[in-house]
Amino acid sequence: MRFILRLLIVLFLTLWLFGVFIEWLIPVFPNIAAAVPFLQKSYSLVCHQQQQKLLGESVYHSLVCSRCAGIYLGFYLVSIVSLFYAIKKEPKLKILLIAAIPMIADVILYSLGFYDYSKTLALLTGVLLGSAGFLYFYSALKKLIQELSSKKN
Amino acid sequence: MKKYISPVVCGFAAGVLQVVPLIKSFSCCLILPAAAFFALLLDQKATKSTERIQMSKALLFGLYTGLTAAFFGTIFEIMITFITRQNDIIIAFPEMQRMVEGFPLSPEIKNEVMSIFQTVRKELMDTGFSWIYTISILFNNFFINSVFGIIGGLIGAQIINSKNKSSEV
Repeated sequence: MRFILRLLIVLFLTLWLFGVFIEWLIPVFPNIAAAVPFLQKSYSLVCHQQQQKLLGESVYHSLVCSRCAGIYLGFYLVSIVSLFYAIKKEPKLKILLIAAIPMIADVILYSLGFYDYSKTLALLTGVLLGSAGFLYFYSALKKLIQELSSKKN
Repeated sequence: MKKYISPVVCGFAAGVLQVVPLIKSFSCCLILPAAAFFALLLDQKATKSTERIQMSKALLFGLYTGLTAAFFGTIFEIMITFITRQNDIIIAFPEMQRMVEGFPLSPEIKNEVMSIFQTVRKELMDTGFSWIYTISILFNNFFINSVFGIIGGLIGAQIINSKNKSSEV
């Protein structure tokens, strides 16, 4: 995949994460405070935004829960790796399954009351699934580009 | 049109999950990608196909799932707001006020931010409809749902293809 396309993916994910953690940027850029309520509504489409599950303790919070933030962070981190290192191997299905197990286990165990909700655990399990998810997304995107260019020729 | 019935069904379900009060507390960033994945899976079951899914088809299925979810999500949201004259903006307004008060901003900026929301809130409470609100949710829903649908479609096709490949072996 071309470097420019990989860079575009990283830029798009940077913007998305910028929105997730926008509240922390308010001390630096006070005017962006006006966008917070609108963004909060936008991110509510893809997250329940329960107050006790958001990242951050005092004034500033993430606009999505720890788990969703983890998924996006995982996606972002691997997208940065893909910028400098060409991922050539196609990921196996078991990678995604293995990456999903800790998150599913965490959801089940805390829902059944074995332990209290842990933001750190939710974040980490999210990062794991997000990282594996990006490998799949990247591979699919490569195939899509190949398909489109072979149709063109 | 019949070809795209599964994205419509799954998109509708995702749209409902995103909007209907109580159910939407289960909302998660995986709902729309999962809907796109199920749309592909349903299509495979309906056509009894075990062939490799083309990525262009996965992209279209994801996009249609996202667009359907956005369409129904927006309509439901507008209707629920119009009938009940209640929505997230109105409910969260006092909390939003406290949040903006807590930000280290000048009083002018705080007033400006709050006046925009006061206007929207007043319109929604008086008439159940606000153009600013409608346009913002329309844009939001169509953009975010399309992107998440496409990502879900592409990842979903990869999963289904690898599953089919491993079952062939």
